Amino acid sequence: MSLIHEIDFGTPASRAEKMVTLTIDGNEITVPEGTSIMRASMEAGIKVPKLCATDMVDAFGSCRLCLVEIEGRNGTPASCTTPVAPGITVHTQTNRLKDIRKGVMELYISDHPLDCLTCAANGDCELQDMAGAVGLRDVRYGYEGDNHVKARNNGDINAQWMPKDESNPYFTYDPSKCIVCSRCVRACEEVQGTFALTIEGRGFGSRVSPGMHENFLESECVSCGACVQACPTATLTEKSVIEIGQPEHSVVTTCAYCGVGCSFKAEMRGEELVRMVPWKDGQANRGHSCVKGRFAYGYSTHKERILNPMIREKITDPWREVSWEEAFAHTASEFRRIQYQYGRESIGGITSSRCTNEETYLVQKLIRAGFGNNNVDTCARVCHSPTGYGLGATFGTSAGTQNFDSVEHTDVVIIIGANPTDGHPVFASRLKKRLRQGAKLIVVDPRRTDMVSSPHIKASHHLPLKPGTNVAVMTALAHVIVTEGLADEQFIRERCDWSEFEDWAAFVSQPEHSPEAIEAFSGVPAEEIRGAARLFATGGNGAIYYGLGVTEHSQGSTTVIAIANLAMVTGNIGRPGVGVNPLRGQNNVQGACDMGSFPHELPGYRHVSDDATRETFEKLWGVTISNEPGLRIPNMLDAAVDGSFKGIYIQGEDILQSDPDTKHVQAGLAAMECVVVQDLFLNETANYAHVFLPGSTFLEKDGTFTNAERRINRVRRVMTPRNGLADWEVTQKLAQTMGLNWNYTHPSQIMDEIAATTPSFAMVSYDYLEKMGSVQWPCNEKAPLGSPIMHIDGFVRGKGKFIRTEYVATDEKTGPRFPLLLTTGRVLSQYNVGAQTRRTDNVVWHEEDRLEIHPHDAEVRGVRDGDWVRLSSRSGDTTLRALITDRVATGVVYTTFHHPTTQANVITTDFSDWATNCPEYKVTAVQISPSNGPSQWQVEYEEQARHSRRIAGKMEAAE
Amino acid sequence: MAPAEIVAQVTDSGLRGRGGAGFPTGIKWKTVLDTAGDRKYIVCNADEGDSGTFADRMIMEGDPFVLIEGMVIAGIATGARKGFVYLRSEYPHAIATMTEAVEIARKAGILGVSVLGSAHAFDMEIRTGAGAYVCGEETALLNSLEGKRGIVRAKPPLPAHKGLFNCPTVINNVISLASVPVIMDRGAAFYKDFGMGRSRGTIPIQIAGNVKHGGLYETAFGLTLGEIIDTIGGGTATGRPVKAVQVGGPLGAYFPRALFDTPFDYEAFAAKDGLIGHAGIVVFDDTADMLKQARFAMEFCAIESCGKCTPCRIGSTRGVETADKIAMGIEPEKNKALLTDLCNTMKFGSLCALGGFTPYPVMSAMNHFPDDFRPTPLVEAAE
Amino acid sequence: MNLHFASPDVGARTLEIVNEMKALEGPLLPILHEVQAEFGYIPQEALPVIARALNLSRAEVHGVVTFYHDYRDHPTGRHVLKLCRAEACQSMGGMALEDKVKKLLGIDFHQTTLDGAVTLEPVYCLGLCSTAPAAMLDGEVHGRLDDTAIAELVAGVRL
Repeated sequence: MSLIHEIDFGTPASRAEKMVTLTIDGNEITVPEGTSIMRASMEAGIKVPKLCATDMVDAFGSCRLCLVEIEGRNGTPASCTTPVAPGITVHTQTNRLKDIRKGVMELYISDHPLDCLTCAANGDCELQDMAGAVGLRDVRYGYEGDNHVKARNNGDINAQWMPKDESNPYFTYDPSKCIVCSRCVRACEEVQGTFALTIEGRGFGSRVSPGMHENFLESECVSCGACVQACPTATLTEKSVIEIGQPEHSVVTTCAYCGVGCSFKAEMRGEELVRMVPWKDGQANRGHSCVKGRFAYGYSTHKERILNPMIREKITDPWREVSWEEAFAHTASEFRRIQYQYGRESIGGITSSRCTNEETYLVQKLIRAGFGNNNVDTCARVCHSPTGYGLGATFGTSAGTQNFDSVEHTDVVIIIGANPTDGHPVFASRLKKRLRQGAKLIVVDPRRTDMVSSPHIKASHHLPLKPGTNVAVMTALAHVIVTEGLADEQFIRERCDWSEFEDWAAFVSQPEHSPEAIEAFSGVPAEEIRGAARLFATGGNGAIYYGLGVTEHSQGSTTVIAIANLAMVTGNIGRPGVGVNPLRGQNNVQGACDMGSFPHELPGYRHVSDDATRETFEKLWGVTISNEPGLRIPNMLDAAVDGSFKGIYIQGEDILQSDPDTKHVQAGLAAMECVVVQDLFLNETANYAHVFLPGSTFLEKDGTFTNAERRINRVRRVMTPRNGLADWEVTQKLAQTMGLNWNYTHPSQIMDEIAATTPSFAMVSYDYLEKMGSVQWPCNEKAPLGSPIMHIDGFVRGKGKFIRTEYVATDEKTGPRFPLLLTTGRVLSQYNVGAQTRRTDNVVWHEEDRLEIHPHDAEVRGVRDGDWVRLSSRSGDTTLRALITDRVATGVVYTTFHHPTTQANVITTDFSDWATNCPEYKVTAVQISPSNGPSQWQVEYEEQARHSRRIAGKMEAAE
Repeated sequence: MAPAEIVAQVTDSGLRGRGGAGFPTGIKWKTVLDTAGDRKYIVCNADEGDSGTFADRMIMEGDPFVLIEGMVIAGIATGARKGFVYLRSEYPHAIATMTEAVEIARKAGILGVSVLGSAHAFDMEIRTGAGAYVCGEETALLNSLEGKRGIVRAKPPLPAHKGLFNCPTVINNVISLASVPVIMDRGAAFYKDFGMGRSRGTIPIQIAGNVKHGGLYETAFGLTLGEIIDTIGGGTATGRPVKAVQVGGPLGAYFPRALFDTPFDYEAFAAKDGLIGHAGIVVFDDTADMLKQARFAMEFCAIESCGKCTPCRIGSTRGVETADKIAMGIEPEKNKALLTDLCNTMKFGSLCALGGFTPYPVMSAMNHFPDDFRPTPLVEAAE
Repeated sequence: MNLHFASPDVGARTLEIVNEMKALEGPLLPILHEVQAEFGYIPQEALPVIARALNLSRAEVHGVVTFYHDYRDHPTGRHVLKLCRAEACQSMGGMALEDKVKKLLGIDFHQTTLDGAVTLEPVYCLGLCSTAPAAMLDGEVHGRLDDTAIAELVAGVRL
């Protein structure tokens, strides 16, 4: 194993199809037109010296090291900014160039510290490399002149010197080492799209400045790490590199946070992770990252991580650490006892969207083959189950239609109920890049998110709808398109069922679906809807991206259908730049759904009632599979309260915190006799568990994740599991203890089994992934290279199906007692229920959940910024501190759910999507009142949690 | 006249950019005309920052309409509908005059949706600079107009292809644009008949500094430097002998009397390691210390450097320090060699003319006035 | 000279200026000129207001403000005297004049007299090169300066 050194071509690749041939240093080279001479040289293995060029950003031409000579042309043009031309002859090494380069390096080093031996970048410094490359031996200017290096010059304070900025928890900024190449500034602008950095001043006084000469933490910086990656010196350096030193080997793996599925190089020293660096060949992220994937991996070594299995008789007992064998034996005997006593259907399990495909597959296999029922469900139940239903019904597949690269071809984007800059930051950066190139944007969201207005981003239309009116607004968009004759008739006639379209068109054309008719209750000005509809229908390639703001509603499935209708009616399906794209919340929520995690579906979305499918698995597994769908999570909990459901195996999910109506979940768990939780930490659900099986992190196991674009990416083990077993091994041992004859020695064998049984995965194997990097399913004989874009020549289901989308207001309505609507979301620095990110330094950006409230609503309630407020709904109440902002409209309040003490789901109701039971997290009628601090319930909960986390013979773990 | 015909006339006249580089104006216009674009711009570079030059100021203060007319013609010729004059803040009177003239022209229908009742739309705005010399460099000027830091852009792309707001853009100096009306009026041949060699037409020479008869003299190319200084300028104002003249602003070379036979012509000056630039001439008498002038050239570069490219950003500061060491008698031969090397690095390594041409005054001072670069031994004794 | 000192409503007034001018193509420099004309300098608290209204980052606006010599981050004296330091003025004794002015005012370039009367700044060419040395006082240009003329100018501003 060695450190992966990615080639830096200096400038981005040209996309031109026309090829140009030229001669560089005697080598004939053919490259696409528009390629820089620098890149052409590098493609031929000729390294032109450079400092300001790097292939993640456009050429800049400032360092003047990459100058070349071109026969027949005057001067010494920079190879980074000069494109190739047919037939030219380029020389990259001449005496003249040698003199200039040495002269430039002499200038650089005259304003740079000479502490190479003790510098954190020693061994990974491009300035050092270049000084060597040009043969610099002497700096004749001396070091006594004007400089940014020394705090004092001859005893006098040096006004040019700036102290090191260590405010960011993950990296430092040392201005004394800066060579002002602007790579960080350009990476922040071009790659990340935040524009948090600038060069301040001019001339010799030019310095990199976060914000307005602020420190990094206070500036607009979102800590994505692009600047650190771009920095050629030690000016911007990971604190982990400063502490540990340079890594010696690296392994490519996949991030375990959101559904973007970024590829990273885990750079290691032995078994110690030095840093995570985004991998340029990663086909989802193309070399970019966000603060979570890049930096927030410290949870894996957090002191609260549980490393030993534990059991207890009653949940009021302290935990008792036991051996793995005892834990498995206890669990197996309890599950068998319960089934014997209460029947086969009395136990079930929940798969994890955080774990690998292979692990998820094993859990559902354990339930179907070992428990002998279909009582398996997954957390997608509470997020994207309506996506599966809606897209399945209209298009025929339960997944997004595009790859992320598709956004580079988009002309008009609609974002509905998603906040990608926070929830899917790397995708957001790619989208923002396209918007800066001129694509237009329509945002449908109750809040003024950063996509509505932020540096260099301004939505053409923001439809700030009242939470719960998605269907009305989407149908109104369709109304405008149909009644104004903007439908793509040719596409519809060729690709969709025409009579269904006619029925649907007649439906949406009804006057009650006009923008004017819905303005009163949706809160969206009719003209905005009309403008947005016209733009989307006529603006070129139209793509729709959506998130949980669409699905987590009582009409979540209907909105997904409305989105699919909108894409079909405008002909925006089946090519790059268009499509319907659910932004998946979790790293493997797509994979968990693919792997048969739902009670009615076997892997590959095949219904359990389908005899042929069941037969495939029955033959292989040697069991009989029930043809009746099992219980969904809410049904399991209901059954538990009723006394018929008694045991559950939960891998990597915290249902107590993430599922709706916390008190009901509590009651259900409390009524069970054997709750088995497999997780990294004693999560909230574990407070009600009898067995705790320590989990492993993504760094500690092999496997695959499937991201939001259906991309199957390898997860590679970079260190030994600290808990001793990878999660798939835990499930296998439990299965073996329950008497199943499983003998997997590596997760690749599990993937082979998936491929053998699931047509859409038929060609997927670890060898194939090794060769391809990653593939997007379906990947089979029909699509051996995978399927970046779906429904190219026709819909998977045959003809696209238009379905009527009647708006039915949710039963959750505001009234005199609960006059405000609460909706929920995420922030960039935290992830989901925060179990991981709260155990990293990311807490400096978000140490608590706050309630966003409009100044007007705050004023009438006497609430000031930072005050504790009581947030109550028909279900319950909690307290948190207020944040006064006009990002939310009057009548709407908003909070995040990253901290368990907030208990936002005490407030949410048990209303859910009519088709899939996906909870209605995004709309709750609430009231706000001033408060003195945490509610009685919060205090009691906190006490109960503390009590239940006791481990015999240890200090209280949670403290 | 059709746009292509206007462009052909300007090309035939031999008019070259009067901002310094001497690029043929007609070719620039043709490129913009031939480049497709929904929006195109005419930008007038009125950021006349070179010491010793004031011709642009005098045109704008004295005959603002000739510039407006030139810009309208440029707009019609290239398909641009919008023009900007980027005028330096140090010229308050020119700003006031131009602003008023644009108002008058707009009222008179010379500017607006229909220029003089024609199908052509053209309007323009006067924009004030903010004290950055480097914004006289055309790409820095474009950045500044866009509201950005006035740093120099790498070329390609040329402004004619991707200029202001990434649109095809004609960027011409005041005199270049102000010369267009007479070419249109009297024909290309009339203009071309003035001048010599490839330098056609007239040039407004500005004689300044320590000179008896300073001022602006428009003449054909071809007079010798000596004729200009002695005959027109009448020698120094102080009555002392002329020691040196700097031609072409702060980035122009210092010429000694020995080179006074050089004819005023782009190519002839280039052959003697000098440049005409904006045709400003600053006269110095024999009290001038050419080492100090060389140091000032570096100091000016350091003050005005945009900071983008390394040779200019760091080199100018090191240049000042090295000149100081020479003046202080610290290892003078070694430091003169270092200054020479630095000038080589800056000249060939810099991104734009600010860093690239600063070596002209420095090296010309050092080469033509070596005596001024001999240190006084006093300082060494004091060490 | 019109002088305004920073008032508590810098943000509100800045926003008015931005809203008046943001329809311009490339509005940032004209806005900054106007803000400086309003307040006498560019108050730091104006930057985020401008940034937000123009869909720019604070960093970008800061980068622009600090690039240009003309923009000041603190108030000037009641008068601003800019002395030309360029070559044409040097050839006519500009450097000696510079020393004289600094002595008369007791300050260096970029400084303001203790009584707040005048701020001294360098300028590089006012285009008065045939009438060197030259200076600009409160936006009005003066040429052919000698010891007497400059002493009169200085005396005028110290009143």
